[in-house]
Amino acid sequence: MASQPQAGAQASQSRSQLAKALEEILPYVSSALKGVASKVETDKKSSAIVLEVERDKILEAAKTLYTLGFDHVKSLTGVDYPDRGVIELVIHIGSYRRGLRRVMAILRANLDRKNPRAPSLVGIWPSTEFQEREAWEMFGIVFEGHPDLRRLLLPEEFEGLWPGRKDFEIPGRKAGEIEEPWK
Amino acid sequence: MSSTVAEEIQRELIQTRDLGVTEEGERLIELQIGPTHPGSGHMRIRVWVDGDIIVRCDPDIGFVFRTIEKLSENRIYMKAIPLVERPSLLDTTPMTIGYINALEKLLGLEPPPRAKYLRTILAEITRIASHLYGIGILAIFLGHSTGFMWGFGDREPFIELANQLSGARITYAYVVPGGVRRDMPQGFPDNAEKALRYLENRLEDWYRIFINNPVIERRLREVGVLRKNDAVRLGITGPNLRGSGIDYDVRVAEPYEAYEELNFMIPVAEEGDAYARTIVRFEEIKQSINIIRDALRKMPSGDIIHPQIARMFNPLMKKIYEETRRVKFPGLFASLKPPKGEATARVEAGRGETLFYIVSDGSPKPYRFRWTTPSYRNAILFKYLIPGHRLADLPAIYGSLDYFPPEADR
Amino acid sequence: MPEPILALLKELLGYNEFLYRTIIGIGYMIIYPGLLLVVVVAALLLWAERKIAALVQLRYGPLWISRRIGGALQGFADLIRFSFQEVIIPRRSDLVPFLLSPGLALLFSLLPLAFIPIAPALRPPIYSDLALLIAIAIISLSPIFIVLMGWASDNKFAFIGSLREALLVVSYEIPLIISLLSMGVIYGSLDFYKIVERQNMLPGMILNPFAFIASFIAILRITSRFPFEISEAETEVVAGPYTEYSGLMFGLSMGLAYIKLYMYSLIVSLVFLGGWLPIQGNGSVAGFLIPSLVVLLKLSIVSLVAVFLRAIYGRYRLDQAIRVGWIYIFTISIASLIWSIALVYGGWVRWS
Repeated sequence: MASQPQAGAQASQSRSQLAKALEEILPYVSSALKGVASKVETDKKSSAIVLEVERDKILEAAKTLYTLGFDHVKSLTGVDYPDRGVIELVIHIGSYRRGLRRVMAILRANLDRKNPRAPSLVGIWPSTEFQEREAWEMFGIVFEGHPDLRRLLLPEEFEGLWPGRKDFEIPGRKAGEIEEPWK
Repeated sequence: MSSTVAEEIQRELIQTRDLGVTEEGERLIELQIGPTHPGSGHMRIRVWVDGDIIVRCDPDIGFVFRTIEKLSENRIYMKAIPLVERPSLLDTTPMTIGYINALEKLLGLEPPPRAKYLRTILAEITRIASHLYGIGILAIFLGHSTGFMWGFGDREPFIELANQLSGARITYAYVVPGGVRRDMPQGFPDNAEKALRYLENRLEDWYRIFINNPVIERRLREVGVLRKNDAVRLGITGPNLRGSGIDYDVRVAEPYEAYEELNFMIPVAEEGDAYARTIVRFEEIKQSINIIRDALRKMPSGDIIHPQIARMFNPLMKKIYEETRRVKFPGLFASLKPPKGEATARVEAGRGETLFYIVSDGSPKPYRFRWTTPSYRNAILFKYLIPGHRLADLPAIYGSLDYFPPEADR
Repeated sequence: MPEPILALLKELLGYNEFLYRTIIGIGYMIIYPGLLLVVVVAALLLWAERKIAALVQLRYGPLWISRRIGGALQGFADLIRFSFQEVIIPRRSDLVPFLLSPGLALLFSLLPLAFIPIAPALRPPIYSDLALLIAIAIISLSPIFIVLMGWASDNKFAFIGSLREALLVVSYEIPLIISLLSMGVIYGSLDFYKIVERQNMLPGMILNPFAFIASFIAILRITSRFPFEISEAETEVVAGPYTEYSGLMFGLSMGLAYIKLYMYSLIVSLVFLGGWLPIQGNGSVAGFLIPSLVVLLKLSIVSLVAVFLRAIYGRYRLDQAIRVGWIYIFTISIASLIWSIALVYGGWVRWS
């Protein structure tokens, strides 16, 4: 039976405790990712540890994060920077373990805009299966090794490519134009 | 059916499939539980059925894809507030709270304490309404029309309460950067107490007719068992996760708004079946009742909008604010240009954890607006949880997951 | 038994028994207590189901049509609406079974009226002293046509619905037949007149409660009342065998369940609840009208209880319902048979 609610943790963590937790975790993460990530820093307001990796080190960094205890992915997406010629892959990774719940890890990698390819993380975090499909259909990032890379949200008869990119033409609106109705 | 029997059947079916016997038309039937099916919601579920057992299930989502992310990237920041409310029509407030939290992190603003409490109260009202809706949908999927009607009828006092607080019944647009838009009217605490007491009385009737109903128990127990490590691996969130034994709740893990100062518990169940998830939702309704009472008791007085924004009111707006405690938007909101940077915020919506990731490049519109909803993260359960069950378990599992297609498609 | 109506007609209009019997038979089958009464009661039952469920569920239910009597004409309005709706026939359906099965299912649900009496003063058109057996046998033919409906529609959901119906019919008709025939064992006769007469000390419900329970639950399943509304489970198989039907055919299919409920409630009220007792009059008014009203009252009670369960229960899963049928209801019906045999041969029940 055992459907009685159990007393979970009381909501009693304050902001300073949160900041302290980040500072404590940072050295472990940095040392584990030495040589893999090019930059590891904390983002206090988002309560996250931000890592930047090269494209060929993505898989290794993901494996290391998994062994550190980050066990599911909250969001996987791309950010299009046409002026820099890159699509940045941004992955928010979280953890359900008691000590790590308040901290996220944000993994960033720059992919070449003309041919964005990245290794699929489905083998490490199965929670990325649908998120990688969406990133592919929005930005064109091909995830190598994904078992089932096809459209998720767009209809089958949709014409046009990679709607998430900045140069996608929305009919009736020029790219880069914003609405200012009060003018 | 117990999980070992399901595994055995699944193994046998995979073996026969590899022998080339189970082709479509030979033994498997492909059913499209499509958008115009009473038991499918706004999505299409393709199931391959062998006799009465589902062998494979493929969710086809995206029928209500409204491109909220792309829309927000082409409009100013303020216009995203009503946009973000529309997909998840049942719990609208946590979505706006999440977005405004991310925006406030970029701007470096922190709302005054009274605004935080007001946001919390509205968020808990919407959480109660959302859970009652979810339970009603589960009831109608099982054929229990009384549960369905009661679910919708019992939401009504709370929608009226939200109407008194914010002026709208379901989509409030109540949360603005720096605070909230309106203050509590006179008599709101008494009305809230009446509504809460009404719901507490009704919950006893709910237990008698739905939770302890032998037919409902037979339909929901041992059905759709989500094991703990599967839930973690697949990134499941919300009451589905708490029904499998993990007491993760963003209100406790990374407290936001006024949750640090309020007393509440997180209900957790161990079995992981559909019945456990339903029980967790009922218990969460009770906890939300406690949170609202606690917040009304501890409500501080003061401003409802950040002083930096209040400084930009013109004299007419200031007069209206002081007399009626309603915020009229200053011109700053129309041309809000946060500094360059990025911010992430997560909140606990009714169905689970929502994440907002905003990248700003100093212009009036967001450069990248990323929004992950709990139903989007739970959609993967259709693929992995349903095979091995009978066809009649599909509505039971679907209803117990509280999957809301517009929220998943955004 | 005395036939005052026949005697009256003979007195007034001359001696031609065959003609009078034919006219009375036609009037019996079509007007009262025949087709017209069945349609009226079925429509009112439809309204009662929706109204009772609505009162439990904090809402009004049918209200706007005939507002002053609480919307009671809703069923008739639905019938009229269905008569004018377009009948859409799928192109690849098997045409002859598709069109004929609802009518045939309805026919076999209505035929038992010719055998079942409703008052002591007027014999049914076909009087037989095996009436109980014949009535059960004819009404058990109707599920075959429901299975045929699902097969003839070119639709996977209809196919699955008719498979469910076939499985459930086998599981629940057998206990029903066993229980009702065990009542025949107790009464020593299958003739409805004798069955009702022999209940003047104790109604059949108390003589053999096992049979009553088993038949009532089996009737719930056969007429697709909750918790057994499985073959037409809306959120699983759209409308089961009735998916592709529209217009009058749909109205017939939906009304079929209520007509079967009427028929089975009639049999139950005669066999278990004492029929038209304690009214045992002679003459045409006291012998025909009032007993028939008493039977209608008892019938309504049974039907309303069956229909009220919509507001309480969800629906079972297919394998759970079959398990309930074979493990519980079947054993209860066997127990009722053994009980009746024990009562009769043990000497506790004796008829002169």
